[in-house]
Amino acid sequence: MKEVYIAGVAMADVGRHVLDPHELGARVCAEALRDAGLFPREVEGIATTPHGYMADFRRFPSQRMAEYLGIAAGFMMDVDSGGNSSSAAVQAACDRIRLGRIRSCLVFAAQKEIPKKEVQKDVVGHFHLIKAANSLYDSYQAAYGVISPLPFYAMAVQRYMHKYGVTPEDVARVAVLLREHALRHPQAAYREPLTVEEVLSSPLVSPPIHRLESSEMHDGAAAVVLVSEELVKDRSRAVRVAAVAEAHDPTNFVPYRGEIDEFPCVERAADAALAESGYRVEDVDVAEVYGAFAGLELIMYERLGFFPRGEAPTAVREGRTTHGGEVLLNPSGGRLSLGHPAYVTPLLEITEVVRQLRGEAGERQRPGAAVGLVHTEQGFINGSIVMVLDRVA
Amino acid sequence: MDTRPYMQDRAAEEFFSRLAEGKFQSTRCAACGAAHYPPRVVCPECLGEDLEWFDLPREGTLLAFTWQEAAMRCRKPDVLGLVELEGIGNVFTRIDAAYEDLRIGQRVIFDAWTSPDGLVLHQFRPLEGG
Repeated sequence: MKEVYIAGVAMADVGRHVLDPHELGARVCAEALRDAGLFPREVEGIATTPHGYMADFRRFPSQRMAEYLGIAAGFMMDVDSGGNSSSAAVQAACDRIRLGRIRSCLVFAAQKEIPKKEVQKDVVGHFHLIKAANSLYDSYQAAYGVISPLPFYAMAVQRYMHKYGVTPEDVARVAVLLREHALRHPQAAYREPLTVEEVLSSPLVSPPIHRLESSEMHDGAAAVVLVSEELVKDRSRAVRVAAVAEAHDPTNFVPYRGEIDEFPCVERAADAALAESGYRVEDVDVAEVYGAFAGLELIMYERLGFFPRGEAPTAVREGRTTHGGEVLLNPSGGRLSLGHPAYVTPLLEITEVVRQLRGEAGERQRPGAAVGLVHTEQGFINGSIVMVLDRVA
Repeated sequence: MDTRPYMQDRAAEEFFSRLAEGKFQSTRCAACGAAHYPPRVVCPECLGEDLEWFDLPREGTLLAFTWQEAAMRCRKPDVLGLVELEGIGNVFTRIDAAYEDLRIGQRVIFDAWTSPDGLVLHQFRPLEGG
């Protein structure tokens, strides 16, 4: 089996974009290819995701980009599995490269949402999209009018807080810490300081979740270039994919059996990825974690194995997850403060960890970062993909 | 605008039409005896297709509760919750109580609820002394 390297990464600012997602995508693809030192004629695979959730569906986006950039691909895939879409595309590309079927692959995602205000202004005109959001859930959940997984996340956080005696301040503190991280990121959506008092006085959107503890669906774009060893142009900047693992639970949003705050797939994917990589969780210097809500951030830190159950709040309070701590978690600002274009998010996470491992993270740099981890999830954390990355040189 | 929820299979249609008659039921496999919630058209245990409807327990334990701000129905101040039916599983449902009056672990009992748009759904309310 061949080794896989990440040779190029690029991201657009996270926030709101006026460009069509195709152009937004083309621009980050070009930047990632320049970063890798590769021309489109050397690209042998291309994969992407849909352009958004509250957006009109446009099919075959990878074929459109292949034509636009002049890529004669030996592997092409449009993936839609929610939050895991672009990491599933990366994983599929890694497998093709490992098998020697292709030597390089461009994975990109470009997301542009119809702004909430426009939807509210013309509910009738957008009703097909609201119905589509509702039909994501099975009939027994959809009947109650659910159009977002927020109430499920709220119940998971409530139960987690109840079981481990976690306080509202403990949860709010995570949002504040992620904002501190984002203050060091010039491309983050949120760059104003935040306090625990401000978080706790923001409205409860689904109790116990406050507005400032929940992520917004943003626009954004990112691209990642994966190559086999012979196409690594600059070894000093190449990052190796040490392992990728995927695990799913037999659930579709609400678990009809067992606990609502357990998310066993996260632990299974993390354990498998770490075992395959040969690293222990203690070896990880920096990680990007897919926590769409502050409370979930704490649960994910524990399920990934960074801390025992119920101990993430203490770790955050003691500064063990930030600069100078034992592991740097979500240096980008995470989903809450970097911003969260869900289809793009896994590629944003990979971009941050690659920049950290290259020593190119600027003010956010963890000195000497050598081993990184990326965690992504889909649905209501019904499935997870975990990647372990390391520095080559 | 048609706001009715879609029915993913005939089991869902049957479940909600039985609810409208006051029956809170799900399917059980006639061949292997496995009980399902939500109802199925095929038994996931033995793949049998000979399923029968049985009464779900009407009392359960409140695992968690919240409200949703944006939704097609059951918006704030309506409360939603997850109720554990012993030996069966978790039911996502409306809770007929004010958010402030609820607590995790409380015993709750089934009730039918007709939504403002005319749908008959299940809800649970706290049991006296529960």
